Amino acid sequence: MTPIVEGRGLTRTFPMASGPVTALRDVSIEIAPGEYVAITGPSGCGKSTLLHLLGCVDAPTEGSLVFEGRDVARLGESARSRIRLTRIGFIFQRFFLLPMLDAWENVELPQAEVGVAPDDRRQRTRELLEYVGLSDRAHHRPSQLSGGEMQRVAIARALANRPALLLADEPTGELDEDTGEQIGELFDRVHADGTAIVVVTHNPLLARRARRHLAMKRGALEMTQS
Amino acid sequence: MTSRALAWRTMTAQPGRAGLAIAGVAVIGALLFDMLLLSHGLLLSYRALLESAGYDVRVVSVDNPIVRMPIPEATAVARAVERLPEVREVAILRRARAAVLAPGRKPADVTLLSVSPRADRLAWRIVAGDDLMVQQHLTDPPPLVINRKLAETLSLSPGSTVRVRLALADASALPAVAFRVAGICENLFDTAADLTASTDADGFERARAGFGDEAEVLLVASRPEFGPTAAVAAIERLRPNLRAYSNEQIVAQINENGFAYFRQISFVLSSITLGFAFLLIATLLTVSVNQQLGQIAALRALGFPRSRIAATLLWESAVLVGVGGVLSIPIGWALASILDRILRDMPGISERVHFFVFEPGAIVVHLGLLAATGVAAAAYPVWIATSLPIAATLRLETIS
Repeated sequence: MTPIVEGRGLTRTFPMASGPVTALRDVSIEIAPGEYVAITGPSGCGKSTLLHLLGCVDAPTEGSLVFEGRDVARLGESARSRIRLTRIGFIFQRFFLLPMLDAWENVELPQAEVGVAPDDRRQRTRELLEYVGLSDRAHHRPSQLSGGEMQRVAIARALANRPALLLADEPTGELDEDTGEQIGELFDRVHADGTAIVVVTHNPLLARRARRHLAMKRGALEMTQS
Repeated sequence: MTSRALAWRTMTAQPGRAGLAIAGVAVIGALLFDMLLLSHGLLLSYRALLESAGYDVRVVSVDNPIVRMPIPEATAVARAVERLPEVREVAILRRARAAVLAPGRKPADVTLLSVSPRADRLAWRIVAGDDLMVQQHLTDPPPLVINRKLAETLSLSPGSTVRVRLALADASALPAVAFRVAGICENLFDTAADLTASTDADGFERARAGFGDEAEVLLVASRPEFGPTAAVAAIERLRPNLRAYSNEQIVAQINENGFAYFRQISFVLSSITLGFAFLLIATLLTVSVNQQLGQIAALRALGFPRSRIAATLLWESAVLVGVGGVLSIPIGWALASILDRILRDMPGISERVHFFVFEPGAIVVHLGLLAATGVAAAAYPVWIATSLPIAATLRLETIS
């Protein structure tokens, strides 16, 4: 099966005043359609850096990245934006919902950006808010939602354009254990519905839900467990 | 959701910030609007004043339309000029210092004017009593039209009798001549402090007791088929010792010399107000962008293109500047009215002259300048928002 994203020899070095810092060194990784992968490891080991490379928001210093058969290094900024908008969904630790929009509008926004027709957009937004169990909170702003509810809205927003790959960076980092469990269950459903998921987490309960587990240390993959 | 709608929602989510920004732009815009009105106001006002007299050429005896020297043998010169095919009408404006003596009052030093019969209708506006023309048939004593200030100073009203003594340099012992106050007027060229009295040619002749035939200026109306430029050329050909100026030439000279200070002040203050508007908008948008770096980075990670982020910020700037700019026009106009009143109280300024004059073009320039300032002010925050490194910003915003 052709992987959604395939990285070969990925290295990412950041220039710093005290000298270059290599956050990721020679990592190779493939994510197949419908896979559920957890990446764990200590803080600063390069998990988020790897996630950002897989999500085409950052470029490797060395190595190659191919997304659905296209060499990302050869793509311009607008083409990479388009991939992120239509093929990748992002979930962040701090949600980053737009505070001036309500839940409905936050979920509708990426669809509008793609140009989905208003009727289809409404239908999809309704479905997604039902999917994450927030139909009754559709017209609440982020400030009126709990952390778990905000993360569920963020998941609905990430799924809005039916991405092939969902990337989540510490999605339970701001949540208590029970709420984290609910998010984990939601990821299970998303995975069951056929979307590939890569989740970076410190939460062992969430990591355990993944079908494949990658452990990182000092910028390198240490262990792969299926 | 369009960029415009997103910008609107961003602003309405923080009504206090948006309100303060709009108020700031409105106040700064009002000052800018006033500076634009000031930059051309005096010139427009002066042009209107010249044109309101109904003459488009002025003839004087020296090469300067502002410094006046008497034109000798004025009546003969006026007749010769009036015979030119380019000329429709000539009026002689005579002026002399005089003392007006009213019973029981201290003498008042006034400017005595005499304008040819057809010109008087345009030099002043009667507010009480009659004009000179109405009482021309009453030859003794001759009629006098006085301005309000003189009427108040000497407690005169239509029908009062006064005596007038001219103060000519070469005839200091002229007898005082009796005049009857025919009417009270507002004189076009008076300042608030001026005391002026006007009479007809006969009355002036009597007061002058036959000394000289000098005029301050000849007011000439050109024939429409020739226009003022042709009239000026014809008069200077006829009388090379005189200088003729069209209204356009006078306005141009004043623009170059007299009003240059106002233009410079207006330019400097306009630039400063634009600078303030730029700093206000740039600061507000930059602070706003810096508060939303995480959201912006997240939107970029979600695939929103740079152009979308830039358009949203530009719309935000446009709404702040647009609403503030529109509000600034009535505020500026009210402020201009107050400032105009203060400036017109300066000594030596005609009551008909205005420093701040409205012209439709000023609104276009005003809004254009504010729009350009809004775009320029948005440039830095747009650059911050569109060039931020997505991954590094997300990392920083998460750990901060």
